[in-house]
Amino acid sequence: MAVIEIKNLSKHFDKVKAVNGVDLAIPEGELLVILGPSGCGKTTLMRMIAGLEKPTSGVISIGGLDVTELPPRARPIAMVFQSYALYPHMTVFNNIAFPLKAHGKFSKTDIKEKVKWAASILDIEKLLERKPRQLSGGERQRVALGRALVKEPKVLLLDEPLSNLDAKLRASARDSLQRFQRRLGITTIFVTHDQIEALGMGDRIVVMSQGKVMQVGTPQDVYHNSANTFVASFLGSPGMNFIQRDNYLFGFRPEQFVPQEIADRKDDLQLFSFAVTRVEYLGAEQQIYGVVEGSSDEKKVIASLSSETNVRLETGKTYTFAVPQQQLRFFDHETGLRIEPQPL
Amino acid sequence: MDETVTAKKKWTDGFRFWSDREDLLGPLFLFPAVVYIVALVGIPFIIAMAYSVTDVTAGNTSLDFVGLQNFQAILKTDQFTQSLRNTIMFTVVSQIIILVLANILALILSTDFRGKWFARFLIMLPWATPIALGTIGWLWLLDSKFSPIDWVLRYLHLLGEPAALLGSGKNLYYLGRLELAKASIIVIYVWRMLPLSAVILMAGLTSIPQDLLDQADVDGAGFWRTLFQIKLPLILPIMSIALLFSLIFTVGDMAVVYVLTRGGPVYYTQILPTWAYLKGIESGALAEGSATALFLFPVLLAVAIMVLRFSRRTEVT
Repeated sequence: MAVIEIKNLSKHFDKVKAVNGVDLAIPEGELLVILGPSGCGKTTLMRMIAGLEKPTSGVISIGGLDVTELPPRARPIAMVFQSYALYPHMTVFNNIAFPLKAHGKFSKTDIKEKVKWAASILDIEKLLERKPRQLSGGERQRVALGRALVKEPKVLLLDEPLSNLDAKLRASARDSLQRFQRRLGITTIFVTHDQIEALGMGDRIVVMSQGKVMQVGTPQDVYHNSANTFVASFLGSPGMNFIQRDNYLFGFRPEQFVPQEIADRKDDLQLFSFAVTRVEYLGAEQQIYGVVEGSSDEKKVIASLSSETNVRLETGKTYTFAVPQQQLRFFDHETGLRIEPQPL
Repeated sequence: MDETVTAKKKWTDGFRFWSDREDLLGPLFLFPAVVYIVALVGIPFIIAMAYSVTDVTAGNTSLDFVGLQNFQAILKTDQFTQSLRNTIMFTVVSQIIILVLANILALILSTDFRGKWFARFLIMLPWATPIALGTIGWLWLLDSKFSPIDWVLRYLHLLGEPAALLGSGKNLYYLGRLELAKASIIVIYVWRMLPLSAVILMAGLTSIPQDLLDQADVDGAGFWRTLFQIKLPLILPIMSIALLFSLIFTVGDMAVVYVLTRGGPVYYTQILPTWAYLKGIESGALAEGSATALFLFPVLLAVAIMVLRFSRRTEVT
């Protein structure tokens, strides 16, 4: 059963349609990632679920209850902000206890017990007497999570919670956050612009652009069966290559585009004549820039190869590259939407 | 070679030369301020300290050291003790009222509403008015016969009729009745200092990150909890600075009492600055006047140090 149901939700700021007719249903216990470039409306969407923004139109229900008109405190949600928004004048204990005190129905011993429970889950028991400014980035994040969990919300909202951590910490934070979410089984919505976080953590991903939902699906789904050219080019780094033919586009991922010699011969191969213009060495992999000859628009195409491959590629020469037929994707030239495979 | 010489010459000419010489510009720009402070604050302050421990008067300007005799002498007069009591009472009461009202005003002004810039402008007016002129305006408002306030009260049937709430007399005589005179002085102090405190607090409130307020909202805090547990603690350092400013302005001000009541009725609304002025300048008792004026200096110094330390310690990052 869906814990959150969003129907035709819109938010317009004057003339800007920040969120424009979004429908979503999120089942219990799911970790849903909302992914999109900055300005796509993902944060506005989350703030509306939290009740911090009033929708222009549409309905939000949480746990079967229509909360569209309710203030944040009347909703069974908790939220962790990008800045963590810890109250700087309170100790960690008081930060975590704040939602319980605000609730007003817990006794002092209850509050103590619940704070201890949250602190033990997140392994921050030793920090309870500290002030936020005495904590590291990772510790702050855990305190913010503790404060969100302590009131046992139905839904946990996370707004780019990893973007304030340094790159090395982020990998372990992704892992601990995901395991933690699984253990508690709490329905979680996670907003990010980082596709690695999205693909690595999400049960499902919502890809947004310009206030609209582009695609909803599992990480494998949105990556391999992108619904349109936006999703296909936004996901992956670099994104999908497109080549125009007549009235449609076809595309393939850079890692599927390999020299014919090393292509898997069991596959039904589509061959291209590829003029290399630049070879970029990136450590574990190399990226080959070039142009597919015979394509009508001569657009730049990128191939990602392992640096270990024993095929030598040189700038200025032309090679035969191959893509397995089943890895080709076809899109409508006008709408950008996925279409049935076309004859090449 | 020639080119570099002319370029160098051009560089060292006039404005460009000066605008690059921080070592000369710094002292130059500071000079007027230093002269002002030394001549109009420093020297008079040192002279006052010297006078307060001598027997100098306007008629006999020789400085003979008498120790703390002047302080002992003024402490024995009723006028001085009354002035001291009034100074403390006016200050404490007005600061409490200012603190409460300034917080309310700052909360209202920091919200978004139509015409808020005009409202902010209006609120600042008392602070922009010269204090003596403002007080003269109040003198008219509180006039014993023609007070417009009395006129309004009479119109509302609260005054000047048999069994009226505020008495059957035609006027309240604000400045002629002791309690009303004291209340009037406090009201004017509040009127005068409220804008500055409110604007300082407003700046503090608008500097609270929106994330924190949103978080409090999500955490379930209502208006009062957010106010008392989030907003006020966060602006406490800035509030203590606003209080210090307002406190020092109020303790040191003599214009309000001097224009409004001249210390009357009798000497019951006298404060230390007016009493020091009457004693030292108008009656020529320079030594006792100085002792009166300096009497609260150690207390104020201690308060200032305490407040500044407090605001630094509670500063949150």
